[in-house]
Amino acid sequence: MKAGPLVVVGAGVAGTAAAWIARREGREVLVLDGGLGASGLGGGAVDDVPWEEIVRGERALGAAAPASPLDGLVRAFVDDLGLWSVPAERRVLLATTAGRARPARGADRALLDLAALMRGARIGLPRVDRAGWDAESLARALGDERSVRARSFELKPIDAVLVRRRGEEVFPDAERAALADDPAHLGWLAERIGEAVARTPVDAVLVGPWLGLDAERATELSRRVGIPVGEALSATSSTAGLRFERARDRLLARVGAKVRRARLTRLDAHAGRFELELSDGTVPLAAEAVVLAVGGLAGGGLVYAPAERNAGRDLPSRARVPFALSFDADLSLRGLGHALDVGGSLHGPDLDEGLWPTGDRASALERVGLAANPADGLRAVGDVVEGRPRTLLASIASALASTA
Amino acid sequence: MIEAEVERAPSSWRPSHGTDVDVVVIGGGVNGTGVARDATLRGLKVALFERNDLAFGASGNSSGMIHGGARYLTSDPTVTEKSCRDSGHIQAIAPHLLFRIPFLMPIERGRYSRLWINLVEGFFEAYDPYQHLKRGKLHTRLTADEVAQVEPGIVGDIEGALTFDEWGIDGARLCLANALDAEARGAKLFVGFTVEGIERRDDTGEVVAVVYRDRLTGQRGRLTTSAVVNATGAWSPITASLSGLPAAKARVRPGKGIHVVYDRRLTNYAITCTAIDGRQIFLEPWQNMTVVGTTDDDYYGDLDEVRATSEEVRYLVQGVARVFPDVRKGRVIGTYAGVRPTLYAYGKLEDKLSREHAIVDHAKDGAPGLYSMLGGKLASYRIFAEEMTDVLAARYRLSVRCATHIRPLPGGERVVDALVLAQRTHVDPVAARRLVYRHGAGAERILERLKARPRERVTVCVCEPVLEAEVRHVLREEHARTVEQVARRTRLGLGPCGGMRCAARCGQLVAEEHGLSPEEGRRDALRFLRKQARTRAPGLGPEQARQEAITLAAIRAELGVMEEP
Repeated sequence: MKAGPLVVVGAGVAGTAAAWIARREGREVLVLDGGLGASGLGGGAVDDVPWEEIVRGERALGAAAPASPLDGLVRAFVDDLGLWSVPAERRVLLATTAGRARPARGADRALLDLAALMRGARIGLPRVDRAGWDAESLARALGDERSVRARSFELKPIDAVLVRRRGEEVFPDAERAALADDPAHLGWLAERIGEAVARTPVDAVLVGPWLGLDAERATELSRRVGIPVGEALSATSSTAGLRFERARDRLLARVGAKVRRARLTRLDAHAGRFELELSDGTVPLAAEAVVLAVGGLAGGGLVYAPAERNAGRDLPSRARVPFALSFDADLSLRGLGHALDVGGSLHGPDLDEGLWPTGDRASALERVGLAANPADGLRAVGDVVEGRPRTLLASIASALASTA
Repeated sequence: MIEAEVERAPSSWRPSHGTDVDVVVIGGGVNGTGVARDATLRGLKVALFERNDLAFGASGNSSGMIHGGARYLTSDPTVTEKSCRDSGHIQAIAPHLLFRIPFLMPIERGRYSRLWINLVEGFFEAYDPYQHLKRGKLHTRLTADEVAQVEPGIVGDIEGALTFDEWGIDGARLCLANALDAEARGAKLFVGFTVEGIERRDDTGEVVAVVYRDRLTGQRGRLTTSAVVNATGAWSPITASLSGLPAAKARVRPGKGIHVVYDRRLTNYAITCTAIDGRQIFLEPWQNMTVVGTTDDDYYGDLDEVRATSEEVRYLVQGVARVFPDVRKGRVIGTYAGVRPTLYAYGKLEDKLSREHAIVDHAKDGAPGLYSMLGGKLASYRIFAEEMTDVLAARYRLSVRCATHIRPLPGGERVVDALVLAQRTHVDPVAARRLVYRHGAGAERILERLKARPRERVTVCVCEPVLEAEVRHVLREEHARTVEQVARRTRLGLGPCGGMRCAARCGQLVAEEHGLSPEEGRRDALRFLRKQARTRAPGLGPEQARQEAITLAAIRAELGVMEEP
């Protein structure tokens, strides 16, 4: 890739990694942050491969699947971001709020790593009066998990008053988490959990996604209580996603990447240079190199755009490719086993089958994307790349390779 | 009073001669549950079998309306009168389940539109005298300007419009109410049990028993009876054939109809539109959503797996968009499909088929004691059930008269103020309002649970919303054994998020209430999620596609999406 100013489109995990590596190489970087995407909605697991495949493999092997060490650059990025714990030689085991114990390569530090607990550990689950957290059900579901039984963990609902003021019980999870960023509240929380643990001795405490939007809150809480206190993974609460966004902002500021809050609306290439039009109405940007880290359908980088959307009283005004980038550019998407071009129906494509994954086949929505290297000077990284469901570490790896 | 007569039916009275029950009703749709209720009210001992779920077929997948039968006005006004009168009866026995749907019929301007609108108005003038029977409002005629005021989304050059009044209903709750009332009066409900055979005597051909199997556990059983009512709608020929009769003895003309569901109420009025082939279709605000329907096509596929296709969705949306183009910008959050059991006729177009119903006494086929209920529609279920039960009553020489038009359905005994209830029990007022809609006075009993278990106040499904207390109630009291069945009873997981937030939790509750392992509950939740995703796929638009991707990512992260070996 050429030297010179680089524009990274997208401020998720992949965009952050692309900006980080470019700054390491001393290049000038501008990151365009278009708002909430898939990284900001993440649950805090750091996966290398989809975790169900690991579980399936382990069941077939009858043994724990080995975890390969992180690539040196990936490790350096993860350490620099400072949000996740990714052990050198083993996987972590996370409890989810849906009642599963699932492996991951690493996790947000605020999440409780069950694999770090000793065999036979007693894990306390506070009874809290709020939706999405039923200590009894959760203990039962987690206790039934193979990986939990194999480690002889004991899951115990414990009585703890974790609601400080009336009304807090209906706060959304992330707002509740933000309360813990206040040192006074954190101290109060440590006292309450401490009392509960004194009544019912346990070796670790598992709570919902409520432990601050600053990763160190959980670490601090564990230090004060004297045993590990951590969150269960919740993919619908956005607490871990907000923590990522904060860590990202700190990292980008530290490495000296410029950030602008705007969406890309149009990308033009002429003679090896790029012109980018932005949603904030400013003069178009010129760049010699662009990294597209705009995310897939979940992140908003790709959109499903059937022609009938803008049809008036009769036929749509023109045929369209059913999937499109969220900005105008002369780039074509691929996936679904054939070229994605103007379809055979003015009324849009037939998605009757293939929306939901079956067996090893990913959903149609997960497979569509760009080629990794769509044009000279232009790289696509992360979820916008066509293929199978991208994991967080795979996205980072693709971004770190973007300037190679 | 008829009431008194019912009470006088001695509870120890047994017309059955050593059989387990007097009547086996097969089919848990509105006709089957209606007959079960009527028969128990008249003192008969009833068992009801449903192979999938109550309201699984056409009853739970209809347009959700109690029509007044306006389409018969010109051909047979007595049918209209009967329909309107019965709509009034249904309002009286289940006031909580009905909601007004005002309809608006725009008339496009054309060469004869002046004349046409007068003719149409004449038609609705003729419909007006029946409206009072069902507390309906009289028709009005609107000018094009007035239409633009009351429903600004309507476009095109129109002559004017007519409004008329109909009533909406949740068909699944209507089936539930009938079934639960029958159960309270001694009927035995077998939900999720399939009848595998109808046994008959070799010599006389009389019905003697049914053999059945629990589809969840595989357990088999036999129940003796001297009468079997086949109320299985589109499945009727299959059911009749279980007795050894040829399937054609209970022949229907199955007509598939689909509906497209939007995430909110898009209009004030239901709007009638014309599809490309001239058929009348509509868009209606229904409960907290909008429903577009419907198609009518001969169906030859698997009745247990009926799904809308993208062609059908586009046919409907195209038709509605001519009048109300913003429908294309609406967010489709689902589709549903059902199969009408229309009376059999060869050589007629689907739309021209009679919506009438008929009772077949299979004694003429050599199977005394076996009856098939064919045809019918949601709005006429009570009359149809009454006619069927009259036949049964005659068979058992009962003098008790039908009382299903005056005896309230469960929940319809009293009107409950949802806001007062919400305040008293400290639950979310919107959740309370929805709960009262579904359960009427029964909502109080469900919220009684909170006294001993305040935790059940939490909301499981945020979109609808549905409280944990209601989920546990339907699992315990309403024969729900799966997440899908909870959804049919409570609308849990049928909103915009596609069950992302509630399916896993509901699976846990299913497992807890039925003593299953957490893993079984989880698999059940995944089955529900997969099935719902398949029904959403044909109508997918941009916003919902993104939600699907987000839902999928969340489910992958928390629950795992791949089927384990």
